Amino acid sequence: MIRALGVATFILLLAACGAREVVVKGNFPQPLMDRLPLTLGVVYSDAFAQHEIFDEAAGRAETDWLVKTGDAQVEFWDTLFGGMFEEVVRISDHDSLHAHESEIDAVIIPYVADLQYTIPLHTNVKVYEIWMKYRFRLVPLSAIHDHDNGDLTIDPAEQLADWTLTAYGKTPTAFLQSDEEAVNLAAVVALRDAGANFATSFTRVPGVAAWMEGDTESFDSE
Amino acid sequence: MSNFLYDLVTPLFTPGIDLPSGCEETPRAQRQRESVPPIRVPNPSRLGHRSGLLAITICAALQGCVTATVDEMTFMEPTEGIGDASVVIMGRRHAPDYETEFDFIECIGDHIRRGDTSITVLHELDFINMMYPWFEPRTAPLRTDDIDKLLDHQRVAERFTELKLEYMIWIDGSTVETNSSGSMTCGVGPGGAGCFGFGTWGNASDYEATIWDFTDEREVGRISANTSGQSYMPAVVVPIPIIAPVQGTACDSLGDQLLKYLSAKI
Repeated sequence: MIRALGVATFILLLAACGAREVVVKGNFPQPLMDRLPLTLGVVYSDAFAQHEIFDEAAGRAETDWLVKTGDAQVEFWDTLFGGMFEEVVRISDHDSLHAHESEIDAVIIPYVADLQYTIPLHTNVKVYEIWMKYRFRLVPLSAIHDHDNGDLTIDPAEQLADWTLTAYGKTPTAFLQSDEEAVNLAAVVALRDAGANFATSFTRVPGVAAWMEGDTESFDSE
Repeated sequence: MSNFLYDLVTPLFTPGIDLPSGCEETPRAQRQRESVPPIRVPNPSRLGHRSGLLAITICAALQGCVTATVDEMTFMEPTEGIGDASVVIMGRRHAPDYETEFDFIECIGDHIRRGDTSITVLHELDFINMMYPWFEPRTAPLRTDDIDKLLDHQRVAERFTELKLEYMIWIDGSTVETNSSGSMTCGVGPGGAGCFGFGTWGNASDYEATIWDFTDEREVGRISANTSGQSYMPAVVVPIPIIAPVQGTACDSLGDQLLKYLSAKI
């Protein structure tokens, strides 16, 4: 019995030395909006679809943190775009690029430009926070080029709009809630905030507004 | 936890009980006084008269007290009740330094549902998800003037009609720990385990409910509840928590006033 307790304690001590990992998961609702009459292509780069942040411990009192947001990002933006636009087509390779050539009005490419998080250990404030900065590019289908090796590249000279938006999520400390659960919840709140920001500002982005009015020339000349 | 204890103990007391020493009153327009000794006692329905008195005596000796002040200003009360319309209660979460707790909103909703089963109170999270992205901290309407902008969106207007939403109640505030002191040491040995020491901490709740009439698109009332209390934890071998149910009292105080406003029965 005592030996078993000793082994358990040793395992717990070893576990405490490892990195803490959060794979962000959540349920995301479809937006309640009048769908825009557009067929939108979406390209998720590998960096976006597998996005993660690794934070190395600064001292012996801290542990490494690995926050994986990629799967949740793709799930969330798929849901949001699906509720915002009449039709959404995922473009990931040569076949998907050419299969809907005649239907797609424009292609959007989201990037995670920055992600920062804080836990109470960092700030002494009883709040877990996640802050994200996104960059979105809206390009015509002709700006996407596929290569023999299957890679897709974008010609930046042809873009219709390029803008950034920020998102913030926080969750207070709660009884019987682990750091990992709280960081996950803060990330889900931040994703929802990003979606709310995107959904309410998309048509007001100057390049997007100009393109939707069919006035792409005025944007190009800026 | 504190709500659970409060529910257990509250039925033993009648309104108007004197506050114990150390509970100060503040002069306000309308005030409720509650003394809530939060120790675990048996269900009062199973107690005889004597054991009930004994429990009250023990509670009086060990109570952590809560002072509650409620201010109310309401008008256009639905004297016939709200019929088959629905109400949603939501917390404000746009401030950077605090956010209204989800469980507090749930507590008020449960209080109203228990008080009048004919009132349909929508669940906050379900409502926020159904209306996404229009009630996120970034996008939630802050003034009644914003309702019109919301209704410009056809699908949003249709959803409100489906839900028969008549009243939207916003709760703004939070519960914080105001002070703490004391120390406690616990140990485990071959002969057993035990703790020794004393800890005390204070909590304060400050909440304001704003009632919006959704049909008339106007504010029809404000109710605020401020509560505070001191909890104690003496430990001689076994720690004995004497918790002041500060948030639970705020929930019941606000819930009572909202129930009086919405219900035709009360």
